Amino acid sequence: MTTHTELPAGRAPTAPGGGRTTGTPPARRRRRGAIRDRLAHFGIFAAPGVLTYACFVVAPIVLSVYYSLTNANPFRPPRRWVGLDNYTALVQDPEFLTALRVTTILTLIVVIVPNVGGLLVALLLDKRGRFYNAMRSVFFTPVILSSVVVSVIWTRLLDVDGPLNRALRALGVDDPPAWLSDPDFALYSVASIISWQMIGFCVVVYLAGLQGVPVELQEAAALDGAGPVRRFRAVTWPLLAPALTINTVVLLISAFKTYDYIKVITNGGPGAGTTATIAFNVLQTGLDGNHVGYASAMAVLMLVIVGVATAVALKILRGREVDL
Amino acid sequence: MTERLPWLRPIVALVLSALFFVPLYLVPANVFKPGDQISASPASPPWPPTLDNITAVLSRPDNLFWVSLANSVIVTAVSVVVLTVLSAMLGHYLARSRSPWATALTLVLLAGLMIPPQVILIPVTEVLKATELMATVPGLVLFNVGYYVPFGVFVFTGFIRGIPIELEEAAFLDGARRTQVFWRVVFPLLRPASASVLIFLGVWIWNDFINPLVILGPGRGTTVTTGVYRSIGQYQTDFGSVFALMFLATLPVLVFYLALQKHFVKGLTGGATKG
Repeated sequence: MTTHTELPAGRAPTAPGGGRTTGTPPARRRRRGAIRDRLAHFGIFAAPGVLTYACFVVAPIVLSVYYSLTNANPFRPPRRWVGLDNYTALVQDPEFLTALRVTTILTLIVVIVPNVGGLLVALLLDKRGRFYNAMRSVFFTPVILSSVVVSVIWTRLLDVDGPLNRALRALGVDDPPAWLSDPDFALYSVASIISWQMIGFCVVVYLAGLQGVPVELQEAAALDGAGPVRRFRAVTWPLLAPALTINTVVLLISAFKTYDYIKVITNGGPGAGTTATIAFNVLQTGLDGNHVGYASAMAVLMLVIVGVATAVALKILRGREVDL
Repeated sequence: MTERLPWLRPIVALVLSALFFVPLYLVPANVFKPGDQISASPASPPWPPTLDNITAVLSRPDNLFWVSLANSVIVTAVSVVVLTVLSAMLGHYLARSRSPWATALTLVLLAGLMIPPQVILIPVTEVLKATELMATVPGLVLFNVGYYVPFGVFVFTGFIRGIPIELEEAAFLDGARRTQVFWRVVFPLLRPASASVLIFLGVWIWNDFINPLVILGPGRGTTVTTGVYRSIGQYQTDFGSVFALMFLATLPVLVFYLALQKHFVKGLTGGATKG
């Protein structure tokens, strides 16, 4: 099968005497055919994905921005335009400011702890052999578990009378803390749980990065008299920059939208929103409380913050990456 | 380079991973233990083991486990297959197009990678109510496709840019149609990228909690994750059932992971080494 037979038709041979053919000029016809072809290409290859994305991501964001400028509440129609009132109310709302603080603390812990822990474990496991492969699997297993399952396991483990506190009492700690029901501990406990789950992700990414560090560079540095710490700082760490970028950005985005753990473990408590993240409050306010307008303003602010934070992190971290 | 204390590394690794594994040990320890012993001695080994918790969950009168399992299997399988096909085609379109519109479209799609579901879920329920798809499995599948298509596009565009275009052009010159070229020449070459997309989205969608919670709603059936959530509300004391349910909900994903471990790591680390 070839298209040779079609070509002459498309090319529209010039009329004898060099005159133009009547009807549609061939150039325009060809251009129109090309446009139709490009439309068909877009329609078949791109449109299905683009349209679902437009319906379920782009349009909802536009709607969120619109709702945030109204007093939308499904049980109190009519919807009225209120301008920036929701936003001015938000920045003075102690509940929102608490959520902002909770989200910031949680995000900082969840970005730093698995990154540092993951790097140390990766350096420890950076050896060949079955034994080290098995250790890697141990650290990666929590990554594939559902956040709900992880939350329930840890809720049992950290129960006032759970295995951890029993062990602590056996070790002589008379009054171990109520990890999840004491307002001073709950947020840090939840952050530790998420860190535990994410550490394996960082381990695997750092291990892959370590495999890209040429042995010759390490050896050359060793011959020059650099000790292990110096070798790490001068050779290994700069070459791990891409791995650091991936881990930091992934952790940042996932920590910022923390919802599942809060919903299952603490439901925002104990006390007045001591573990309620912005992501948690958006759905509580919007779906359970029906204050759609106010919740949408929160959601839009949340999107702006996560967008700016991601862009800044990417800019800084990408700048550190070097080419070999 | 030789180490001064060669025995130290494996011992530290072993102790550390054993400590790390303790929380996971709670699941098998409590699944096979009589329910009344769970609160009394949560960390003791399940001896003699019992299957009572599992059979109790499997034969619940409301079929919570079976309904959840069916929903999870259908939602995950359909979403993942549709997503792989759609994002492979879209990724190919974007990777091969030189127009500035395609570049802009790629950026708009990639921005979707960082959008938290909470930002869009409230309006999404409106969209789904308007189309009468709210609280239905097809509604959840459609949302999954729209929400996860950026990840698929991200993986496929990156991969396709690495394959020489000459292969496609040769097939094209031989007179094959564009769709034929894609399915016969390009798609088979994308197998590693398709594997990553299938594996990652499969695990993510299976483990999803917030999306099925909001979209399927409390009334209309659960997935395995929202099923576990519902069972902790109902059976505050019966942790035997809760652990059995979690065990059964995790088993498929665990088997899947153990079978495809290499692909997991490969898919995760493609970007870490390239930079």
